[in-house]
Amino acid sequence: MAPLVAGGKVLVGNAGGEFGVRGWLAALDAGSGRLAWKAYNTGPDKDVLIGQAFRPFYPMDRGKDLGIHSWPPEQWKIGGGTVWGWISFDPASNTIFYGTGNPGPWNHEQRPGDNKWTAGVFARNVSTGEAKWFYQTSPHDLYDHDDINEQILLDMPVAGRMRLVLIRPGRNGYLYVLDRQTGQVLSADPFGYINSSRGVNLRSGRLIPVKEKEPQAGRVVRNICPTASGAKDWNPSAFSPRTGLIYIPHINLCMDLGVLEANYVVGTPYLGAESKVYAGPGGYRGVLTAWDPVARKPAWEVHEDLPLWSGALATAGDLVFYGTMDGWFKAVDARSGKLRWRAKVDSGIISQPVAYRGADGREYVAVISGVGGWAGALVSAQLDPRDNSAALGFVNAVRDLPNKTKSGGRLFVFALDG
Amino acid sequence: MSGGDGLDGALFNRLFALFLIVSLTMLALVLAFLAAAWFRRGGVRQDGVADENGRASREPLLRALLIGWTALIAIGLIGLTFASFLTDRGMADAIPPDRRTINIIVTAKQFWWDVNYAFDNEPSKNIRTANELHLPVGVPARVTLKSSDVIHSFWIPNLAGKQDLIPGRVNDLVLLPNRTGVFRGQCAEFCGIQHAHMALDVTVESRAQFANWLAAQGKPAPAPASPLQKAGYLYVMNRECSGCHAIAGTAANATVGPDLTHLMSRRSLAAGTLPMGRAGLYAWVADPQGVKPGNNMPYVGLDANELHAVTAYLETLK
Amino acid sequence: MRLPKGRTGCLSHPPLSPPCIQGGRLACALFLCLGLTACDREQRSLNGQPKAETIALANDPRDLSYQENSYQLSQGQRLYKWMNCSGCHANGGGGMGPPLMDDEWRYGGRMEDIVRTILHGRPNGMPRFEGKITEQEAWQIASYVRSLSAQQGQDVLSARPDSMSASEPPTLAERGKVLPENNLTGPKDEQN
Repeated sequence: MAPLVAGGKVLVGNAGGEFGVRGWLAALDAGSGRLAWKAYNTGPDKDVLIGQAFRPFYPMDRGKDLGIHSWPPEQWKIGGGTVWGWISFDPASNTIFYGTGNPGPWNHEQRPGDNKWTAGVFARNVSTGEAKWFYQTSPHDLYDHDDINEQILLDMPVAGRMRLVLIRPGRNGYLYVLDRQTGQVLSADPFGYINSSRGVNLRSGRLIPVKEKEPQAGRVVRNICPTASGAKDWNPSAFSPRTGLIYIPHINLCMDLGVLEANYVVGTPYLGAESKVYAGPGGYRGVLTAWDPVARKPAWEVHEDLPLWSGALATAGDLVFYGTMDGWFKAVDARSGKLRWRAKVDSGIISQPVAYRGADGREYVAVISGVGGWAGALVSAQLDPRDNSAALGFVNAVRDLPNKTKSGGRLFVFALDG
Repeated sequence: MSGGDGLDGALFNRLFALFLIVSLTMLALVLAFLAAAWFRRGGVRQDGVADENGRASREPLLRALLIGWTALIAIGLIGLTFASFLTDRGMADAIPPDRRTINIIVTAKQFWWDVNYAFDNEPSKNIRTANELHLPVGVPARVTLKSSDVIHSFWIPNLAGKQDLIPGRVNDLVLLPNRTGVFRGQCAEFCGIQHAHMALDVTVESRAQFANWLAAQGKPAPAPASPLQKAGYLYVMNRECSGCHAIAGTAANATVGPDLTHLMSRRSLAAGTLPMGRAGLYAWVADPQGVKPGNNMPYVGLDANELHAVTAYLETLK
Repeated sequence: MRLPKGRTGCLSHPPLSPPCIQGGRLACALFLCLGLTACDREQRSLNGQPKAETIALANDPRDLSYQENSYQLSQGQRLYKWMNCSGCHANGGGGMGPPLMDDEWRYGGRMEDIVRTILHGRPNGMPRFEGKITEQEAWQIASYVRSLSAQQGQDVLSARPDSMSASEPPTLAERGKVLPENNLTGPKDEQN
């Protein structure tokens, strides 16, 4: 992950949720580089920096040492909950917000319990690291739903009242609006196709799972939507204060999932799952959704054939930039979604575009090309598409990718005034 | 044919008695008809036409008898099916819902039993052991049966009937032991070359003893004390052992082989193959393929010092 | 007398074969032959080789006992899952690690090369398995790995692959054939 500098600290976390690690977030003093605090996401309260100030909104997150008691013995030591995504900082309350990764292994039968504090969002005091609240989006996560996606901090009206909120389009397909002072879920609406859960119980805060979609060792559960990569993965959304819309680049995929016993051997994957991914209903694999958070529904959607694996960028000129995996860099109208401009680059785009004003006073938009990652490994690592389960099944979803792009890695900079 | 001494004994015996009575009655009737036919040979020709002496055809009587007989069979079979169904339901409902049951997940593997005591509300109290079951007397235990490779069958003749463990499926069985003792369970479905050496030691004990056992099993393994034990500990942690076995409280957390945390507290080694003890331990660690050919513990090839050390460490896992 | 052409294994068991062959019953000879080849491919040497042996030799003589032997191969297949090989290499198609079902071998594709890769590890992520599995187990895994790229005979492969099956998912039905046909895994396709 890219570190975030906030409140005089450099914040950095670890990755490796598929290797039996124990997730943490550390803060280094920005001046000296010395470790200021380190908060684990599993284990005893003192390791998680849970103390007197911890006030989770829902009863399910209250109790002593839940980071141990919600796991089978010893399992929390290798339980994942990594921090490899995005951290948001609210200077007014001196608070950081970040999500924690999936519990390990993927095979949930090996880790009965809620598996705190994985697959949820933490609010912490950036100076001390002390936890303020926690909300678990997927208690006892069944599908590798890392909850590391971005959080967008907004002050907006909810049911007629101005609230300080935190918005996160989650891996499990719900767009959560949380009260960022308390961790209360104000709303959770699906922004993609979901059949593995029925919604979020706003009273208890718990996700309502669909029993038939629960993976079980030794058999394959078919047609689970969203996939392990989620209705939306790490690629961040953009918010435009001009339109009041959130632009969510995400994917429309479903999967077959089979779990098997994962055997913990130091230094090897700790996974216990096989999956096969394919396009969801409608046949398209990528979506750009413009979401109206006040009206709680999409304003418009653009469908992309390939999974949408790049970040979105909203500009003051009412354009939204994003890239596709076959190498088109596109700008659409922020209000209607109509395509305004596009350019083909040498390889697929899975990066985040940026806009800036150069030293010469001109405005530029820059993006890095180079397909890869989970979605593009078929091309970048030359995997073999004859195996449906390659790249944890993702290869099956993009087996046409080698015909549409090649691997690359270039920075493209476009000047706005030509 | 027996349901054992367990939970369902009474219901099961009643069903058995019913089957016995109905079957015996039918058997007696069949024999009676047979005897009658034997003594009255030659009465009716095969085509059913009256014979030369002009005796009236007995076809109507025969037809009535046949219809009656068929009806009797149908009623009997339907009745028995119902009785069996009701007994099955009765067994399922036999546990009062308010009574605390113990949940045990048994996963059969070639050629041993992985046993997990699961506490749904407090997973951190879960206990993993192998090739043994401890049950408190008079407390129902719900056993969830799974398999990770081929079909096995779970059979403790003294406690309950057989139940298969099938890969990809979940079966369950309720045990309600009503007397203390040590019983033997056995895989009852041929599962491979070492099927015969796939036994399960079942100890039914008082509730207090069971509680002690649970508490002891919940503790992590002690740290090695003597230099020899330490050498063995290092070997186990850094060599092949930790690729398959788990020992709570150490870095070994693999699940392919049995959990070794409280190995020495078990009655036997390798699923009933050897009695637990120093002799068995030496033999097993030195040459598992010689003791139980074809099992999945490989021949590691420890030299004499390593064997000595590893065994010394394993003996601390009480 | 002419003998049906079979595997050498067929003729290497004189105590069993002579009566049939002398009787000149071709069917019987064939039948026994099949039976005996089956014995050969099922042959199990359970103890493996002692630890001290090195694996540096080219064309290691152990090749013969681990290749074309369905017991060793199926044990390798089991270990491939148990030792988490599938976590990176999937069922041969790769993921975090390179694919194993293609014809590219970065560090050599002979049995002894694969064994060395498994035991000693390779740069950029392949962990060292020495001390985690025995040498015998490494040979068994290597035997399975070679089968992924169809370098073992069909008759020694496991009839039921442990990987997930690949039937058409319901959500693709309305999509028609936009994506290429789904394949069954691996070697079969390559041979057809």
